[in-house]
Amino acid sequence: MSVAYKSIQWNRTKIIYDLLLFAAIGIYLFLFTYSAKLVSPDLEMRGLDIRAFGSAAFILLHVILSIGPLCRFDRRFLPLLYNRRHMGVTMFFLGLIHVIGFNLSDIPVLSNIPYKADGALYWYHDFGNVEPIVSLFAGNTHYGSLVRFPFETLGVIGLAILFLMAITSHDFWLANLTAPIWKALHMSVYVAYAALVGHVTLGAIQTNRHPFLTIAVGLGLVWITVIHLLAALQERRRDRAVAPPATATDHYVDIGSINEIPDTRAKIVTIAGERVAIFKYDGKIAAISNVCQHQNGPLGEGKVIDGCVTCPWHGYQYLPETGASPPPFIESVPTFNVQLRDDRIFVSTIPNPPGTETIPARIYPDADGAQSYE
Amino acid sequence: MNNHSDSQPAKRSDDEFFSGYSRLPKGIKRFLLKFIPLLFVGVVLFGIFVPRVHDQFNPGKFSRGQFEGLLVGEPVPHLLVPRKGKIESGSQFSRYLLSGFSKSSVPAKVTDQIGKWVQIKGAAVHRNNLTVVATGGAKPIERPAGAPLQPEPGVPLGEFSLKGEILDGKCYPGVMKPGQGKTHRACAIRCISGGVPAVFLSHNEQGDPLYFLLADSNGKSVSKQVLDLVADPIQITGQVTQYGDLFLIKADPSTYQRL
Ligand code: FES
Repeated sequence: MSVAYKSIQWNRTKIIYDLLLFAAIGIYLFLFTYSAKLVSPDLEMRGLDIRAFGSAAFILLHVILSIGPLCRFDRRFLPLLYNRRHMGVTMFFLGLIHVIGFNLSDIPVLSNIPYKADGALYWYHDFGNVEPIVSLFAGNTHYGSLVRFPFETLGVIGLAILFLMAITSHDFWLANLTAPIWKALHMSVYVAYAALVGHVTLGAIQTNRHPFLTIAVGLGLVWITVIHLLAALQERRRDRAVAPPATATDHYVDIGSINEIPDTRAKIVTIAGERVAIFKYDGKIAAISNVCQHQNGPLGEGKVIDGCVTCPWHGYQYLPETGASPPPFIESVPTFNVQLRDDRIFVSTIPNPPGTETIPARIYPDADGAQSYE
Repeated sequence: MNNHSDSQPAKRSDDEFFSGYSRLPKGIKRFLLKFIPLLFVGVVLFGIFVPRVHDQFNPGKFSRGQFEGLLVGEPVPHLLVPRKGKIESGSQFSRYLLSGFSKSSVPAKVTDQIGKWVQIKGAAVHRNNLTVVATGGAKPIERPAGAPLQPEPGVPLGEFSLKGEILDGKCYPGVMKPGQGKTHRACAIRCISGGVPAVFLSHNEQGDPLYFLLADSNGKSVSKQVLDLVADPIQITGQVTQYGDLFLIKADPSTYQRL
């Protein structure tokens, strides 16, 4: 499977995923309000909603950013990665409501549910002698000072990036912007994160100075940084562990024994600077690029299912012999010629263009009657 | 030989593979059934604790009302309302600052009556002993029977150096929580530039809030000149005069120091 540009491809997993996500957010928003009202029953709620939505978005961003590294540490987190973009889009909307508010009665079918949340633009910036959006930027222009820095602008930057990510999150854009540009755009989530940490630190925390808030945001930042560093380290170590031996002859390198690779799985090696996934399946060995065309997922951590290499991230599939997605899909990755010399696997250091058919090496040549050194 | 691996012994869960369009493998499912509830516990804890540590529980509120008193224009429009009952000590008047509705000053309909006894209808907000009434008009009235003829003169207290923050006189005592500090800066600037009186908040040694009206050395309002210092920690050195429970500090705004 790869992608057909339906609006969203729903399946059971995605529906459960989204239900859990919305339930978590609903519980948080409800408890936030309820807990505050317990302290002070006649509390003015309009300002509180801004904090409820803003903090929900900020907490969710930490969850989103944690999923990637967690998946590197333990593959059982992968189902959380599978539909992460829905979390991202949801987070954008929470941030948007934090700014512009939300009125359920604006939505035709829900118009008789009396729920309304005011945004910061209305609550802090409206009713004055300039437009709210002007007030947002004019209220503070001390860009030269750290302590006085306009935290509002940092929030706007964060939200703008999230907006770009949200509108381009669909695979339609992935295909049309090309993967590297799309990937670069989506890496800017870290710019958004930095901007939003600044927004919260120079805004809510600086005003509030409650140690719990400061510690929570600080721990969040440390957590995100540390797990990313650890994941990167682990990645580096893996790369080094499987670096090809220097004994390259005739463009083929010995990448190891067939016994190292479990059936339907792959070994990942870095060959001439590029990660290659060498799969063992149906008594055969074939090698393709490790990099999924969808979002650069690690194909070598995938599995051969129904004869196709299946990406562990979102399930794109490629035929191991050709590197091409089965029709009607059009994605394809480079392939690498392989040879077997006894039980050693040799892989060509020169990639074939994406989609090039190769002849897999057969582990039991006798079954076919002929030794297959390609 | 086909199915075993000698250099990479696979954990059982390692061989399970998740793909979105097939059912969750057992091991992964078991794992998620433990992990996701943990996430929900986190959601519940955050949902309960985060709102409690926000500085939002001040009692500022609106109430509609009608007030009669002597309308004064300097340094900012305010109303002297005779105190009821026996007044043994302190001022004979309560002092209510005046503003228009939204983020605006009192309209000309009100300022035209300065120096007269008036009746004002409006929305009053108060926090501690700071009260502001938002109103759209003032009706001249006779001086109520028994009301003092003249406001007592202010009591000069001498020169003080005070640390504190300039706030707007309306949102701070009103519905904004906390209604001060950097997050509230833009809102306060809009209020003050719209004509809501600026108020300087300082604290005495016991930590009680003290509110000061700001005036330049001639006793005129400085509101428009202090906009860029709103919500910043500052120090003002000037002559303090006490009018009942309201204070006035006179200092040239150019001498205000940012801390
Ligand atoms: S399927 Fe998304 S990265 Fe491979």
